Amino acid sequence: MNNPIISINNLHISYNENVILKNINLNINKGDFIYFIGETGSGKSSLLKSLYKGVDISEGTISVGEFNLNTIKKNKIAYLRRELGIIFQDFQLLSDRNIYKNLDFVLRSTGWKDKHKIKNRIIEVLETVHLTNVEKKMPYELSGGEQQRVSIARALLNHPKIILADEPTGNLDPEKSNSIIETMKEINLNGTTVVIATHDYSIIKTFPSTTYQFENKEIKEVAIS
Amino acid sequence: MRKLTTKKGSSSGISTIISLSLVLFVVGLLAFILINANKVSNKMKESIVFTIMLQDNSDEIKAEFESYLTSSNYFKEVLYTDKKTAYNNLKKDLGEDFSSVLENNPLFDAYDAYVNAKFVTTQGLTEIESFIHEFGGGSIVQDIFYQKNLVEKLNDNVRKISLFLLTFCVVFFLISFALINNTIRLAIYSKRLLIRTMRLVGATNMFIQKPYLISSLYQGVFSSILAIFMLIGSLETLKQQIPDFIQTNDFIEIAFIFGLLLIFGIIISWISTFFAVRRYLNLNENELYN
Repeated sequence: MNNPIISINNLHISYNENVILKNINLNINKGDFIYFIGETGSGKSSLLKSLYKGVDISEGTISVGEFNLNTIKKNKIAYLRRELGIIFQDFQLLSDRNIYKNLDFVLRSTGWKDKHKIKNRIIEVLETVHLTNVEKKMPYELSGGEQQRVSIARALLNHPKIILADEPTGNLDPEKSNSIIETMKEINLNGTTVVIATHDYSIIKTFPSTTYQFENKEIKEVAIS
Repeated sequence: MRKLTTKKGSSSGISTIISLSLVLFVVGLLAFILINANKVSNKMKESIVFTIMLQDNSDEIKAEFESYLTSSNYFKEVLYTDKKTAYNNLKKDLGEDFSSVLENNPLFDAYDAYVNAKFVTTQGLTEIESFIHEFGGGSIVQDIFYQKNLVEKLNDNVRKISLFLLTFCVVFFLISFALINNTIRLAIYSKRLLIRTMRLVGATNMFIQKPYLISSLYQGVFSSILAIFMLIGSLETLKQQIPDFIQTNDFIEIAFIFGLLLIFGIIISWISTFFAVRRYLNLNENELYN
C-alpha cells in the first residue's frame, strides 16, 4: 500500500460560521494526477488553500508530505510551501518585475545564492513549459497562456513534490487550456503529484484521471466520460 | 493600461515621499515655533522696564547706584536719563515749551532698568522693588514706576499660549504619526497581492519584509531632506517678514531640529512599513480580500 503524500481526515472547513466543507476524507499518493471538480463556491479552492495553509482548519487533520498542518508553526509554513508548486487562475505573477526576476525571486527567497545556477535553473524550467525569449519581458507583455506557463515554471523551480493548481485554465481558451494540462501531464510523468481544481469538464474528458466532485459540502470520486 | 498599473508602484513611492515630507515639514515648523516661543516670550518679558526716579544726589552716589543696579542679576540693561534730557524729550514729545510757566525743571534724574526675563513674575518684581529701595536706606530713590498689571497679564498670556502650543504640538505629532502611518499603509495595501504571492512561493517573512524595510529607510531619508529644504525656505521667508520673532542664528538649535526631523522621518517610516507589511504577512487567504 502506498504511503499518501496528502492525507485528509474528517476535515471541516468553515468561514464566518458558514460551513464550506464537512467530513472530508481523502488520501492522495505520490505521482497521482487528481482533479477536483465542482461548481463555483463548492469548496474546491478552500480545500486547496487548506493544503498550503492558506486558511485555517476548523476540524479534522491534514498532513502534506512531512508536515502536519494542524501543528505546523507559523515560521514553518514557508518551508511547507517550498515543497509545493501553487498555480492560480489569475497567474499571480509579480507585476513589478520581468519574468526572469519573477523566477529569480523564488529561487533567492528559497535559499539559492549562486547566480550561475539560478540562471541555468530558470532557463531549464522555461524550456520545460515550452517558453523561450520571455525572460526580459514584463508579465503584462505576455498572453494569458504564456503567463500561465510562466506560473507553472515558477511552481516547478524548487522541484516540488506536489503541484496545486486552482482553475489553471479558467482564463484561457480551450486550445491553450489543453496545452497547459498537457504540460502538467508531462510534469506528472516525472513523479510530481498534481492536483487541479476546475469546473471545466472538457479538460477532464480530454485528459481523464481520478476526479473528485464537490457537491453539498462533501466530495465523492466520480467517473467523467 | 496594464503598463500604467505597473507605473503605479514607482509613483506611489514618490507620492509617499511627498506626503511624508509635507507632514515632516509641518512637524519641523512646529518644533521651530515651540523652541522659539520661549525666546519670543523672553523678548516680550524683557520689554518690561522699571523707571527709577532719583532724588537730587551727587554724581558719585548716582554712579554707585548705577553700579548697584548693573551688578545685580535682575537687570538686562540699565539706561540713565538726566532730568535735563528728560525735560528736552518731554518738550519735544508735547511740542510745547513750558519753561515760561514753570520756574524750575520738575522732572527727576532717572534710570530705565530693563528686567531679565526670568524675574518677570509678580514675586520677582516685588523682590526687585525692595532691592532698589534698599539702596541708601531709601534716601536715594524718589519713586519707582513699572506696569504691574501688564506683567500679570503678560505672564498669564504667555502661560496660556505655551500650554496651547504644547498641546497643539502633541496633538499634531499624533496626527502626523497617523497620517504618515496611513499613507504608508495605503502604499503597502496596494502591494498586498504581491506580498501574498511572495508568501505562496515559499519566501520567509523576513525575506519579504527586507526590501520594503530598506526602501522605507530611503523614503524616510529623502522625505526628511525634502522637508528640511522646505523648512529652510520657509524660515528664510519668515525671517524677512518678521525678523524680530524669527531667529535662525542658533546653529545648534537648527541642527537639532533638522536632526530630529531626519530621525523622526526614518523611524516613523520604518515602523509604519514594518507593521503594514507584517499585517499582510499574517493574513490568511480569506482575510486578504476583506
